Amino acid sequence: MTRLWIPGAFVAAIILVALLAPLLDLPNPIRQDVARRLSGPIPGSPLGRDEFGRDVLSRLIWGARTSLGVAFASALIAGTIGTLIGLIGGWFRGLGELLTVRLVDVILCFPPILLALLVVTLLGPGAATLILVLSVLYVPGFARVAYAEVLSARSNDYVEAVRALGASTGRILLRTVLPNIAGPVLVQFSLAVAAAVVVESGLSFLGLGVVPPAPSWGLMIRGARATMEQAPLMLLWPCVALTLTILTMNLLCDALRDAVDPRTPAQRPRRRLVDRLVPGLLPPPAVEPERVLDLRGLTVEIETPLGRIRPVDDVSLTVRAGETVAIVGESGSGKSLTATSVIGLLPPAARPVSGSAWFGDRDLLRLPEPVLRQLRGGAIAMIFQDPMSSLNPVHRVGDQVAEAIRAHRQTSAANAQAQALDLFRRVGIADPERRLRAFPHELSGGMRQRVMIAMAIANRPALLIADEPTTALDVTVQAQILDLLAELKRETGTALVFITHSLAVVAEIADRVTVMYAGQVVEEGEVAGVFANPLHPYTRALLAAVHEADAAPVGIPGVVPQPHAFPAGCRFAPRCAHALAACAASLPALEEAGEERRVRCIRWAELSGAREAAA
Amino acid sequence: MRWFLRRIATCLVLAWAVSLVVFMTLHVVPGDPAELLLSTGGIAADPIAVKELRVKLGLERPIFDQYLAFLGGVIRGDLGTSLVDEYPVTKEIALRLPRTLELILAGTLIAVLLGLPAGTYAALHRGGLFDRIVSGTAALLLAIPVFVVGTLLVLLLAQTLKVMPAGGYVPFAQDPVKHLTLLTLPAIAIAKSLSAVVFRMTRASVLDALSRDFVRTARAKGLSPTRVLLRHVVRNALTPVLTVLGLHMGTLLGGTVLVEYVFNWPGMSTPLLRAVEARDYPMVVGIVLTISGLFLLINLIMDLLYAALDPRTRAA
Amino acid sequence: MNFSRRTILKAGGALAFLPSPLRAQAQSNILRCGLSAWPPNLQPWVSTGASAGTVKMLTYGRLVGYDKKGSLTGEIAESFARDPADGAWVFKLKRNAVFHNGDPVTSEDIKWMIEQIAGEKSTAYMRAQFQLVARIETPDPHTVRLLTKEPVATLPHWFGNYNMGVISRKSEANAPIGAGPFKLAGQERGTSLDLVAFDKYHKPGLPKLKGIRFVVYADENLRFAALQSGDMDMIEYVPWQSMETTEKDPRLKLDAEDGPFMDVLFNATQGPFSDPRVRRAVAHAVRREDIVKVAFFGRGRPLEGVPIVEGTPWYDKELAKGWNYDPERAKALLSQANYAKGFSCKMLATAQFGMHKDTAEVVQQHLAQIGIQCELQLPDWSTRIAMGSRGQYEISIHGVSGDNNDPDGLSVVMDTSLSPTYSRSFGLKAPRTSEAFAKGRAEFDQEKRVAIYKEMQRAALEEVPIVGLAWRSQGYGMDKRVQAFKTLPGALTTASGALLDEVSFG
Repeated sequence: MTRLWIPGAFVAAIILVALLAPLLDLPNPIRQDVARRLSGPIPGSPLGRDEFGRDVLSRLIWGARTSLGVAFASALIAGTIGTLIGLIGGWFRGLGELLTVRLVDVILCFPPILLALLVVTLLGPGAATLILVLSVLYVPGFARVAYAEVLSARSNDYVEAVRALGASTGRILLRTVLPNIAGPVLVQFSLAVAAAVVVESGLSFLGLGVVPPAPSWGLMIRGARATMEQAPLMLLWPCVALTLTILTMNLLCDALRDAVDPRTPAQRPRRRLVDRLVPGLLPPPAVEPERVLDLRGLTVEIETPLGRIRPVDDVSLTVRAGETVAIVGESGSGKSLTATSVIGLLPPAARPVSGSAWFGDRDLLRLPEPVLRQLRGGAIAMIFQDPMSSLNPVHRVGDQVAEAIRAHRQTSAANAQAQALDLFRRVGIADPERRLRAFPHELSGGMRQRVMIAMAIANRPALLIADEPTTALDVTVQAQILDLLAELKRETGTALVFITHSLAVVAEIADRVTVMYAGQVVEEGEVAGVFANPLHPYTRALLAAVHEADAAPVGIPGVVPQPHAFPAGCRFAPRCAHALAACAASLPALEEAGEERRVRCIRWAELSGAREAAA
Repeated sequence: MRWFLRRIATCLVLAWAVSLVVFMTLHVVPGDPAELLLSTGGIAADPIAVKELRVKLGLERPIFDQYLAFLGGVIRGDLGTSLVDEYPVTKEIALRLPRTLELILAGTLIAVLLGLPAGTYAALHRGGLFDRIVSGTAALLLAIPVFVVGTLLVLLLAQTLKVMPAGGYVPFAQDPVKHLTLLTLPAIAIAKSLSAVVFRMTRASVLDALSRDFVRTARAKGLSPTRVLLRHVVRNALTPVLTVLGLHMGTLLGGTVLVEYVFNWPGMSTPLLRAVEARDYPMVVGIVLTISGLFLLINLIMDLLYAALDPRTRAA
Repeated sequence: MNFSRRTILKAGGALAFLPSPLRAQAQSNILRCGLSAWPPNLQPWVSTGASAGTVKMLTYGRLVGYDKKGSLTGEIAESFARDPADGAWVFKLKRNAVFHNGDPVTSEDIKWMIEQIAGEKSTAYMRAQFQLVARIETPDPHTVRLLTKEPVATLPHWFGNYNMGVISRKSEANAPIGAGPFKLAGQERGTSLDLVAFDKYHKPGLPKLKGIRFVVYADENLRFAALQSGDMDMIEYVPWQSMETTEKDPRLKLDAEDGPFMDVLFNATQGPFSDPRVRRAVAHAVRREDIVKVAFFGRGRPLEGVPIVEGTPWYDKELAKGWNYDPERAKALLSQANYAKGFSCKMLATAQFGMHKDTAEVVQQHLAQIGIQCELQLPDWSTRIAMGSRGQYEISIHGVSGDNNDPDGLSVVMDTSLSPTYSRSFGLKAPRTSEAFAKGRAEFDQEKRVAIYKEMQRAALEEVPIVGLAWRSQGYGMDKRVQAFKTLPGALTTASGALLDEVSFG
């Protein structure tokens, strides 16, 4: 937030000074005093006097009114009209495109200077004419940028999703598309304001701008250029004013874009040397060869403006060879962060602060990046949730798979392509020769996910992490993908970590399950055991929900708490029907509850006893 | 192919529309070419001589006749002759256009060579020292008008150090070294704001690309950082940068006026400006027609490149 | 960014050793001269401005010219005089004067030329004047006799105008054959012109240069930069702010004369400015020193009367102060005209030329002091010309120079009985002034002419067809080795280029 309001305050200050010019008790900006012409700083005129002996400071501030007024007005007008045109053109294509974007192109065909000349000659010079000229000049820029963005946005899943829901076009454009193209449009806006201020000076230089004696920065620069040898400082002041304005405008627009764009990561904290070294000095645990992944006490921290949060807190997990472990939980439970920290792809802001992730005899959390990179896509591979956004739209899918192969093996491009073809066959892509050369947008959702899987298994990984691989797909395709994964696992013996929020999927594919809630493991065990006898109230609630519908656990009131608002005691307590005062008092430990079975609830034994009694 | 033909047809219609608008507007704008010519240098023109000159130049004919005559000429590939000195418009354009194009290309080249890597680096090290310094410099470059920068460059390099000529032009064939020397300063002046624009746009779209899921996928594949950067970040960030660049190159076609003026580069903007000042109708219309034609051509190329860069746009 | 300081220093050092363009041309004896504007065309008799005039004088030559003091002197004509018998003006042509094609310049050529200029379809600048010629006699190939409808004392000046190029009657429509010291060897439209010396020029030993290369620098700063960097040996219109630098530069010299002037013009068809008292109020309201300082960096002189050059016989110290700065008097005049409370109006000038804009701003300020509130209208030059010629203004600022240094040369500015144009006041009646101009033109006796023109000045001070504001300095800057050039005084500054035939590198 600070990033937004510091430049915001600067811009506001500049605008405020310009607006308040009449109240500032400045000397009259058009009052000449030729005797004091071009004098340096003198009492009453801290920046000196110009070629007519007029006060420079006063002209600078009054000039800001003209220059900024013209720039903002024209950028705003052009931005509104241009974006609208781009939206319409990009959304409707066809005739809409012809009538908007192509028509606007006519403006671009005019050399800007000619346009300015013609309009100014017809209407006479002045601020209003200038605004008109500049607005007309900048409309195509906005239209183009908006158009291009809409074109790529309209094919995105979220837009398609909203569209499928039957929302009205206007609503989609305003509520869904517009916010998503706001970033580039804002950048264009900052560029347009900046350019408008500069073009104002250029047109004034050619005598097509603001009419003297009214001050404007452009006129000041024009005047100062002639007296450059006599009074170089006269040139400096308006240029400084211009630069400061443009700089702060740029900063503000960047910050605005960040604020609008939810994807923007915060600052990446530096990893301290001691963090890297100290855990490594501890003796490694006895390696149990059958364990492919041994995650111990993983804690991930993120620096946020609201403070340091721990979305993953002391998570342990074991995956044996050939085994499928499911991590299940609602969104916000920390399951994806757990998975990504294993392969070192945490978002820049997040970092693992304690714990270890043993992959064989190597701690993944402390491997240097080049070594980790060798493992990624090689021994450990990952499949992501949304195959559309996870595939690069501009490369052919075959190339993207081949790229994964060649990242880990020395082989010719042709050979890689041949292997990609094999992989495509293995993941059940029909007509694989043709599909190799397809672009992601030309494939169906299920097909894309098959490509992702092909990419992931390309180097026969020992560990495959699938992060909600079926969530973005429709139900029949989900089943096909699950079958495919199960089959591949059988063939290769790869260990699989399967992240999902759906217990139905868990039942189908996993050997063991780990239930996560609010960054912690709340229960784990064999799938059969957990399903038959869930020990944690949360697990029970999840299971209960499955039987009603394959959706969020409707039976549980409330939502997962935000990481910065985790309760001190049991994190599920506020939503738990069985919560006691003691639950909120302190954090329950993860207790052993039988062979391969752990649960984080102080009442598990009591509750399960009660259930058995009831049964 | 049909798409292509349709685009060409649209281009032709647009060019015609532009020529019509310009032709008609010019005749509405105050100022009489005959009177202006005879008033060169602030000397009073004899109204009878002005009238005679108007007849001689064919300006007394109805405007519709004049337009038809012009259109007929265009179809024959003849854009007419200047009202000022009867110089063929096509000849003037043939001489000047390559120079403007050279200037724009040189400026764009510099801008891309500076802006693209700098923007990428700044995005990768966002908020770092380099990012801050270059972002500040970009604002400075955008802020200082080209005629100030030009004058300062000339003041420093030509007047004070005397290592560069103070503007002008020498054909490449005549003296390649001098030609390139003379090209340097105006090209830098063109690149001045363009590089800032490219920098900002690159930085923004690289930042955008960096946050995309497919970059995570690329990293998950174990690709080297360089490969991730070039193939998955920069490659995808190119499309918006290209849009802006194409837009600016098109705008520059008639927008090199100040640079040509300040460095005495005999491109096409100067005769356009002078022709507008002199209300030299055939010259203005001819040059504008050329510029809009070229602009549409650049657009077409941009669209083709666009399609090459972003396969999604090809579908429609 | 791998630039270390050292690499930059190295690069700078390397630059310094690049072959410098300086002084490359002196050996070849070709003068490189920076022009301020591209000659729109080189038609010998059509008015196309001073830059074109320079080239036209050098390539076509004129019948008469001006010496370094500004006195009329023979060029192709070896002598010119009035025949007391019938009042004809007689021009004797030099026998060695030949055109670039080798043909001698004959009286037939001159006759043909005058007929063309005065012809019905002519677009020539001097058309109206030469239509006063009743008869052209060519008693022999080297004598031209001109009989005018009414006596014209200033007729020889007509031939001194730079729009009076002498060309062969055998010239094709667009290929004039001149008789000047140089031939046009090549040009690039809008950029440069190359002249080469003509070996059979009628002045023996001239031209001294082998050629001249004119390069157009529209931007005054760059034009001066080109001189200072050594790209050019000489430039016209040294910008006023650079004149001091030119004088201080050890390699350069400045040759400047006060010549053209700024003035105020009125539309007297209606409104306050139809009253001469209001116009006189304007004349007394402006402190001219401010204009000289602001618009011309002190390179000029206040002009508080009719623009008669100081030191000429027509100059009168008293009359020259006839419109002195006196705001009280200005206010009194406004009161007399029933505008004691002032009024508002629009002031036309152009933003295209800094001096017009700056002058307008100063005048606006001073008029506001006496209660005349002007709103500035600053369209482009072309629009300004159109508006001026059609009287679409109330008061306007203009800059101009007389045709020549004879007071009759001012009639183009001040004789409002002539056709309406943007460089004269519109619809303004100054009968006594116009009458004085007519009388002076027909009078041959010098003393009587002086008296007539002093009367003209008195009349103009009251009728106020224009208000003089400031003389402005017109300067050529050049390398010190450029010899024998002189900026001509007064209205002739723009004709100085003709002297390039005598110029040489010292």
